[in-house]
Amino acid sequence: MNTGLLRGLCAVAALTLVASGAKATGFATCDSGPHEGWQPQEKLSAMLKEKGWQVRRIKEDGGCYEVYAVDDKGQRMEVYFHPRTLAPVPKGAKDHKG
Amino acid sequence: MKVWDRFVRIAHWSLAACVLAAWITAESKLKSAEQIHEWLGYAALAVIALRFAWGWIGPRYARFGQFVAGPARTLAYAKALLRGAESRHVGHNPLGGWMIIALLATAALASLTGWLSITDRFWGVEWVQDAHEALGNAIIALAILHVAGVVYTSWRQRENLAAAMVSGVKRPPEPGDVA
Repeated sequence: MNTGLLRGLCAVAALTLVASGAKATGFATCDSGPHEGWQPQEKLSAMLKEKGWQVRRIKEDGGCYEVYAVDDKGQRMEVYFHPRTLAPVPKGAKDHKG
Repeated sequence: MKVWDRFVRIAHWSLAACVLAAWITAESKLKSAEQIHEWLGYAALAVIALRFAWGWIGPRYARFGQFVAGPARTLAYAKALLRGAESRHVGHNPLGGWMIIALLATAALASLTGWLSITDRFWGVEWVQDAHEALGNAIIALAILHVAGVVYTSWRQRENLAAAMVSGVKRPPEPGDVA
């Protein structure tokens, strides 16, 4: 029975790790449809570099592009863009149409 | 008898509060929650640093030297536990001691990677973000195991160990106990 208890504890720990895995952070969501209609990340990156931004990371979050960058004034930025229009998406936006 | 000194108890509950609150504020959309999350990390680091120092200069049962057991003793305790023949420890038992080390180390690394992730140098760096998230998940898993261990040991020894971490008082050692 003691072995059973320890096994139970390990199962709980493992489940917690699995359950807390990757998911949308929910800062913003975009109504962006299938990936085929999306503009490439490189284009967004080039667009921001033109503004003098240093792009650190672009990833998908809630159907939007989430960008980590340092802007031309040296400010750390975390900004969302619509993958179809590459228009900025305000934080907190739900199913943003672009 | 008095086992856990005032500093150990305050450090324990404030770190537990920091971890729980940091976990709750981790995925919030509110700007204020983000700021609270950051300050909780700094607070956790301060508590961990003080607890670490206390582990060298504090009273008997606060010291790492008292409760960090070597591999042989830890393994012997684990085997006894599986047989249902483990002895009662007035301080931390060997597995409990290692859980403390794991919790302190994981909380420290989670705080440090969180701090790094908002510096200009490491802003938006993927491995820092991933490490911070993984460490955050790990500490919750460890905390659940920790609570399970406390509940189990409390039941085995007929002594409320969570209450002892509030009052600092435990039953004095009986023959066969490890003081």
